[in-house]
Amino acid sequence: MSRKKSQEKIFEIKWKTDLPYRYSIGKLAVKFFEELKENKKIMGSKCSKCGKVHSPPRAVCAECFIEMTVEDMVELSPRGTLEGFTVINYPFTDPATGGLRPFPYGYAIFKLDGADTYTMHFINETDYTKLKVGQRVEAVFKEEREGNIGDIMYYKVIKEEK
Amino acid sequence: MPKHDVAIVGIGQTKFRSKRRDVNIPEMIYEAVKMALDDAQLEPKDIDALIIGNMDHFEGINFSELMCGIEAAPGYLKPIVKVATGGTTGSSLAICGYHNVASGIYDNVLVIGWEKLNEGGATTGIITAFDPVWERPSLAGALGPLALMAGMYSAKYGITAEQAAKVTVKNRSNAANNPFAHLQMPNITIDYVMSSQMISYPLRLHDVCPQSEGACALIYANEEETKKITDNPAWFHAVETAHYYTFGTDDKMYDLPTATFASKKAYKKAGIKNPVKDLDVAEIYEPTSWSELSWTEALGFCKPGEGGKLLDEGITLMSGEFPVNPSGGVLSTNPIGATALVRVAEAAIQVMGRGEKRQVPDVEKALAMGFGGSLWTEILILGKEPMR
Repeated sequence: MSRKKSQEKIFEIKWKTDLPYRYSIGKLAVKFFEELKENKKIMGSKCSKCGKVHSPPRAVCAECFIEMTVEDMVELSPRGTLEGFTVINYPFTDPATGGLRPFPYGYAIFKLDGADTYTMHFINETDYTKLKVGQRVEAVFKEEREGNIGDIMYYKVIKEEK
Repeated sequence: MPKHDVAIVGIGQTKFRSKRRDVNIPEMIYEAVKMALDDAQLEPKDIDALIIGNMDHFEGINFSELMCGIEAAPGYLKPIVKVATGGTTGSSLAICGYHNVASGIYDNVLVIGWEKLNEGGATTGIITAFDPVWERPSLAGALGPLALMAGMYSAKYGITAEQAAKVTVKNRSNAANNPFAHLQMPNITIDYVMSSQMISYPLRLHDVCPQSEGACALIYANEEETKKITDNPAWFHAVETAHYYTFGTDDKMYDLPTATFASKKAYKKAGIKNPVKDLDVAEIYEPTSWSELSWTEALGFCKPGEGGKLLDEGITLMSGEFPVNPSGGVLSTNPIGATALVRVAEAAIQVMGRGEKRQVPDVEKALAMGFGGSLWTEILILGKEPMR
């Protein structure tokens, strides 16, 4: 299944574009990042009707269509369970920087204790043979936190009696 | 209730390739549009309205309606509706077109989807479709979440990498029978798939769809216009959409509940009791080999956890009782904004009996599926006879 090498002559016009954006993140997210930065706390939001705990915090519960406010935010455990994982091992341009995102990196989906939804983030393991669905994990926080999701550097697998 | 029966009466698609450096975007769209118009033997003046779409931020051209004035498609002095819903863009276009004719707003519409994926970066573009604060920093486009889904699915049901590899072998060898397909691999083997590079465990390079460039165009008409255009149309029997949570991680990421929800509703509308027996062929949106196995379960072709067994038994092969993706599917061709529209086009081709080497014998009813967004599904069912 060899592929023919393209011999076509290419005419190109090249330029680079910066595309600056500024996003509003909402009051619940502000509270989340303040708690993360100041107190190393991970917060979710709890629906006052069905009791579902959303992580990350959301302003509206999908099923109930009920609004949640900062008053409905609850603290979640930094520990949880590994539900799925992969190791990203391909090159691509990161739209946040315009450069290549470093790879390989561990990427996983967790369920934090106390949450009813799942969370995606980095895991500090690039050997997928060492990961297993059901393993216990814990958030590792940055020492100098800035108030963004990167303040949770990654989750790591921990040994813990279930 | 719909006021009109709606049929597909004209089909056009480009040959899909990794790169179409010989044409710009409107020139590429024009190829598919011209083919659809010629197929229906219609002139641009005959078209009432246009439904167009792609994921414009993939190419960074955010007002593609402009192209469909004259250069790409006959939108000059006509109404144009633009639709963009991620991976489901093509099926949303197809469904939007249906509603516009079924409701009696227009007698006919031209539906166009396209993508020129290698003019931007698909992974980069997909990242910008998601939440900038919560999701983008760790998200690696579609493949990361699809890898998570595959791993969770495998862990839950014990589906093996070899069973997944069989999907790629089936679809890319089917693609060799489809002159429009991007990756055509008549001699592909399980070993070839399983020894390709691990790009996001458990996904290997050949477990995932390519990035393709190309366009697809369909012409729809109501019953009265259809009679004038062709004696071999493909009639719509049902269309269904199921959107889901904002974040993929709001739910567990396997079993695709939206596919079960949407297909059940569509089967009821179309009078389908047992999809494997009552439908003759399906063109489904499988971004990875693993997803085809999982989606066949979610669509009710088999029980949960039996997607691997369904293929092992040969049921979804070209030679089987219920072929899935005779065109080669998404694993062979993936021009994102056109991908799900190609599923509809290929389902129509099967119903019309125009599939040549990829034709399944005696097709009366065909299913087309779109997948995308965060776990969204759209279902369309086409048939040889009108519904009423």
